[in-house]
Amino acid sequence: MRLSKFAAVSAVALAAVAGASWASADDKTIKLGITLPITGADAADALLIQHGFEIAIQEANAAGGIKGMKLEAVIKDSGTATAGQYDPAQAATNTKALVGDPDVMAVLGPEMSGEGKAMAPILSEADMALITPSATNPDLTDPAHAAQYMPKGRPVFFRTVTTDAFQGPNMANFFKETIKATNVYILDDAGAYGVGISDAFQKQAEKIGLKVLGRDQLDPKEADYTTVLTKIKALNPDSIYFGGVNQAGVKLAKQMAEILPNVKKGGGDGIYSAEFLTGVGFPAVEGWYCTNAGPHLTDDPAAQKYVETYKAQFKTAPNDYSITAYDGALVVIDALKRVAEGGKGLTRSNVRDAIQASNLKTLQGVVSFDKMGDINDRTVSVFQFHKNDKFPLDDSGHQIAYIGVAPQS
Amino acid sequence: MSFQDVLIQQVINGLSIGAMYALLALGFTMVYGIIELINFSHFNIFMVGTFISMLLLQAMGFNGQSTLLYGLPLIGVLTFALLATMLATGLLGVVIERLALRPLRGVPGTAPMITTIGVSYILYNIVLLTQGGTAKNFPNPMPPYHWDFGNVTLKLREVLLWGIALVLMIGLQLFVHRTKLGKAMQATAQDQEAARMVGVDVDRVIVTTFFVGSSLAGAAGFIFGLYYNYANYQIGYTAGLRAFTAAVLGGIGSIPGAMLGGVLIGLIESIGGQLIAVRWTDVIIFSLLVLVLVFRPSGLLGTAGPTKS
Repeated sequence: MRLSKFAAVSAVALAAVAGASWASADDKTIKLGITLPITGADAADALLIQHGFEIAIQEANAAGGIKGMKLEAVIKDSGTATAGQYDPAQAATNTKALVGDPDVMAVLGPEMSGEGKAMAPILSEADMALITPSATNPDLTDPAHAAQYMPKGRPVFFRTVTTDAFQGPNMANFFKETIKATNVYILDDAGAYGVGISDAFQKQAEKIGLKVLGRDQLDPKEADYTTVLTKIKALNPDSIYFGGVNQAGVKLAKQMAEILPNVKKGGGDGIYSAEFLTGVGFPAVEGWYCTNAGPHLTDDPAAQKYVETYKAQFKTAPNDYSITAYDGALVVIDALKRVAEGGKGLTRSNVRDAIQASNLKTLQGVVSFDKMGDINDRTVSVFQFHKNDKFPLDDSGHQIAYIGVAPQS
Repeated sequence: MSFQDVLIQQVINGLSIGAMYALLALGFTMVYGIIELINFSHFNIFMVGTFISMLLLQAMGFNGQSTLLYGLPLIGVLTFALLATMLATGLLGVVIERLALRPLRGVPGTAPMITTIGVSYILYNIVLLTQGGTAKNFPNPMPPYHWDFGNVTLKLREVLLWGIALVLMIGLQLFVHRTKLGKAMQATAQDQEAARMVGVDVDRVIVTTFFVGSSLAGAAGFIFGLYYNYANYQIGYTAGLRAFTAAVLGGIGSIPGAMLGGVLIGLIESIGGQLIAVRWTDVIIFSLLVLVLVFRPSGLLGTAGPTKS
């Protein structure tokens, strides 16, 4: 009894303090939640994305904010030491914390689909939108999975990239039509993204007559893939497709260079990364193809001003997902402006509606969404890791060469 | 590739992983033999060994696989890096014993074992926080020499790995059986009280055990880096767990048992993965472990029955 009385008193006191701080913050700042895997194997690429968000927020604040209100980023780390990479459970915890803060109007991120799957149901309940520059798993916006990822029925998962429903199949087309692979062995890394993109690749490969020799799964925490690679070598494959992210990808690429030196090899945007480049290193990384679920942007003349700003501020070069991140933040800022200026109440639901109705010119062109929240542009770009002696070996902007747009399905 | 070739190749793969597990298993088994403690910090002493050798090689100017050495300079650099790493991890083991385990000596129950888990996490997080979580490209000055026998490939680094492991294991055998300190170690393992009575400095024996076991883990860590060209703060977990299993399989407390157990686990991993499926590796390894322990509770080479009260 005494305990519960004490608890009740302290809860009231806490609420009073919290209430006071909300009231004073309300007229000055709008918060945007950012959750990204800043600890672990995804850190390097998560930072490229975080910087993109930050530049957009800084520019908006420099231009006067939203009707005089400043934007504030609330940054949460979704990587954990235990997972060694993004951790869906941590992403869910972060999302609950962001939902619990009434000043947060929208979420920027995540980087990974595995995080997205943990976040989407929570955000749907709160009717708060997120915008991701890089999570490409198609289930998240698939009407067939709506009960799971949008239980409230309204899309909250918006993206400034297309999905693996295009990224996987278009790469299968590229394997068959462009690099003339005759057969393929498929490996995934057991993650939501890796399994999804490999499934999509496999389905298209079977459809267009690219013979699938087999499929296996890599444990990302395992160090040794020589057993599975020796097994694959016995099948004498012409090409290998890897669906997954760096943690398994780096080890796979290193060991593959020795066991299967002459095979054609490629993956998705999970290995279109600075970490894959530096972790694998030359010569093992030479020749790997990878994709990006959007148009190639860092060489685009329209993006050069942004690229310069980025380099000046962070002393490194951005990649394409730094640009889709910047675009994503622009979309959210634009939506906030329309809500604030349209006189409607600045609520999460209204911001979500405004994002859904976006038609905004960004660095990658006009961004608009279909009724499930997917971007209408469905370009998939292909890159290849290729040594360029004129630039430092860890310069991902120059050691990953743009090849072209993958053939559409 | 014929099925026979594939099997031979998998045996080569398995022996290589097995040699690493064996070196790591020795540390578990030696410490257990002396003070009946399962030292879980051993997992991450191994990992720290990989990082120490990586930083050493980087400090010597090696970067990735772009700078290669041949002949005597190569042997010199590798020997130096190996010995320096072994010394460093050996000292780390001694420090852990002095700071975290000696104060708990004689405390009954699981407290010392839980402490080693704590130390393990401290090492893990120190490396994560200072070195970052990204995959590291381990500098490797070895040229990618290999010999082809039909479709079977034998790499220079595999031969080197076996060589280092073999030399260290023979050295350990000689140390334990031929030197005074080694004999004191055996005596302490059999009966600590009696050893103390006949004048054995038990503290010194225990410190030596931690030094030798941890330096072997450092050697395993260095070999790991050279073999995979890779380092990451997480590598201790899987390798450590398998090595611990190897020590139990071979008979914990038995030095030849740890060597046999390590090689067996390596072979089971590669041949089991080939014949069944790679993602079932852990199920295969641990099922075999359960089977062996059911029929031979003291492990393959372990001595049955209590040696201590």
